[in-house]
Amino acid sequence: MSKNQRLRTSVRAILAASAAVLLSASGGLAADPPKPAQIVVNDSGGAMQNAMKKAFYDEFEKRYGIKVVATSPVDLGKLRAMVQSGNVEWTVTEIGGQDAILAEESGLLAPLDLKIIDLSRYPKHTQNRKHVFPKGVYSTVMGYRTDVFKEGNRPQNWADFWNVQKFPGPRTMQNAPVDNLEFALIADGVPMDKLYPLDLDRAFKKLDQIKKHVAVWWTTGAQSAQVLIDKEAVLGTAWNGRYYVPISQGAPLKIEWNQGVMKESAFGIPKGAKDAYWGQKFLALVAEAKPQGVYANIIGYPGLNLDAINYTDEKLKPFLPTSPENFPKQFWTDLAWWKKNGPAVQERWQRWMLQK
Amino acid sequence: MTAAVADRPAATATGTAIWWRNNRATALLLLAAAPALLFLLAFYLLPMMLLLAQSFEGGSLKAYEKALTDGLYVRVLIDTMLIAAYVSVICLALGYPVAYFLASTRPPWPTIGIIFVLLPFWTSILVRTYGWMILLGRNGIINRFLLDIGLLSDPLPLLNNLNGVLIGMVHVLLPYMVFPIYAVMRRVDPALIAAAEGLGAPGWQIFRRVYFPLTLPGVLAGVTLVYILSIGFFITPALLGGGKVIMIAVLIETQVRQFLNWGFAAALSAVLLAATLLVYVGLRRLFRSDLQWS
Repeated sequence: MSKNQRLRTSVRAILAASAAVLLSASGGLAADPPKPAQIVVNDSGGAMQNAMKKAFYDEFEKRYGIKVVATSPVDLGKLRAMVQSGNVEWTVTEIGGQDAILAEESGLLAPLDLKIIDLSRYPKHTQNRKHVFPKGVYSTVMGYRTDVFKEGNRPQNWADFWNVQKFPGPRTMQNAPVDNLEFALIADGVPMDKLYPLDLDRAFKKLDQIKKHVAVWWTTGAQSAQVLIDKEAVLGTAWNGRYYVPISQGAPLKIEWNQGVMKESAFGIPKGAKDAYWGQKFLALVAEAKPQGVYANIIGYPGLNLDAINYTDEKLKPFLPTSPENFPKQFWTDLAWWKKNGPAVQERWQRWMLQK
Repeated sequence: MTAAVADRPAATATGTAIWWRNNRATALLLLAAAPALLFLLAFYLLPMMLLLAQSFEGGSLKAYEKALTDGLYVRVLIDTMLIAAYVSVICLALGYPVAYFLASTRPPWPTIGIIFVLLPFWTSILVRTYGWMILLGRNGIINRFLLDIGLLSDPLPLLNNLNGVLIGMVHVLLPYMVFPIYAVMRRVDPALIAAAEGLGAPGWQIFRRVYFPLTLPGVLAGVTLVYILSIGFFITPALLGGGKVIMIAVLIETQVRQFLNWGFAAALSAVLLAATLLVYVGLRRLFRSDLQWS
């Protein structure tokens, strides 16, 4: 950046800041607490952080003149350490789907101010949230290589996923019981709306059948799609956005939405966060329809604002779990069941992994 | 130590002087080491104590009972120590000749060799792990090559199993084996080898009875370093093992981050620490008797 440009940028920044001050003063919003120079938003990093920046962080900086510093990764353990030590570094943080209830129950989150955050255009069941901000929806879905399974002979449900005679080739699944137990039960004939409480014995028995065909139990989101791209496996599971990005870059992969399991992605304000007021303002912006549309266009994860679809690319709709065509094919995970049974089921999963 | 000096004004002048004369070197050394010691105390020992304190939540030993009797954790702990032992042995087998080469060739070869050993050491572990995934996969470079030249009809299972984990871990840890051995080898007096030769010992006997025993302190240091670092490995086994190789660090991480069960995580960590110390003491014992023999 030349000196001239730098000067121009800083002049612009000062102008923007003073304009913002004037605006808030003339708007009679004298109640706004003083503006910090920056707030810290903790997200999952990588491609998601880039999308967050373009859709939300840049807009927040433009609107309020407060810089958004992005950190990662999402870490429940770190959140607890911060809140307990009273040294909270994050203004707002993302929280993994199942972790949100645990974080809320453990008292790690500050209450949401629904006078600031407008959820009136959200689905009814998400409107009266106390601590957990409903950011968006993602789905664990089946994906496969289109050069291995050609048109007319493609796996369409979890029974097909388990059918290694008709659909031969190595599989990949997440190295965790969550989602996989549901898939196993569906493959075994349990209807999507009668899954919970999960029949663990039946699920693990069904998983026994597929175990030796799973070449890779993936650990990270990036790994799940990469395994298919590298042909380590030809059929697998992943979070939908992980498939969307390589598909949009031309990889021979396809998503099967049927019997996918949807989860909410969540954000929260850590208890004791500095500048929590601006954290509320930030979440208010994230709740708006237009930036949610921008975000979905980049990364394929939709927000929950029902109007966001108006700002979403037509081309993208087949890749969204919430599109009218995909939505009814899937089911919602039961977070409360997983919260209650998670630790015990995880141990059973590890034991099962150790069996030959 | 400085405090101890200040505590002694009552002693007679001669007494202090004598004490000072006898202990001066120690006192000064301690003073020099004080910043590092304080650093370790504040940022290592204290947090570790706080963590261990959590393992006795409610004054009970329940967490330890589970960590020591539950088949899952015992089995994974044993697997972890076995993998660490494999890695140490492979590193020793590969690293000893490399160290010998570095210590015995003429310039500029030692410098060039050291650069080659160090280069991967400076690269991020994650980058190297993904690099191995590209090389070792079913459709990776190695398998593709062997299939194309017709040496194989089915790809070798190099990745997503114990093989992949061992290859990845040995690659990361090899420098920790090479350098301590190299340092000791450079100090071996060539006159001793010459003397053994002069007395008519054949090459193998010279190595077995003279050279190798002299380099044992380096071997002990290298094996200890590699073994202890292996035990805590996390990301390499998770990625190169395809989820099928479970090491104890993975189970501890799940308890810390996913379930916020820090009491149990602390107990598992304490058990791991105790097991590591036991192995360390055992190794020292083993090698000490050998050293005396030499």
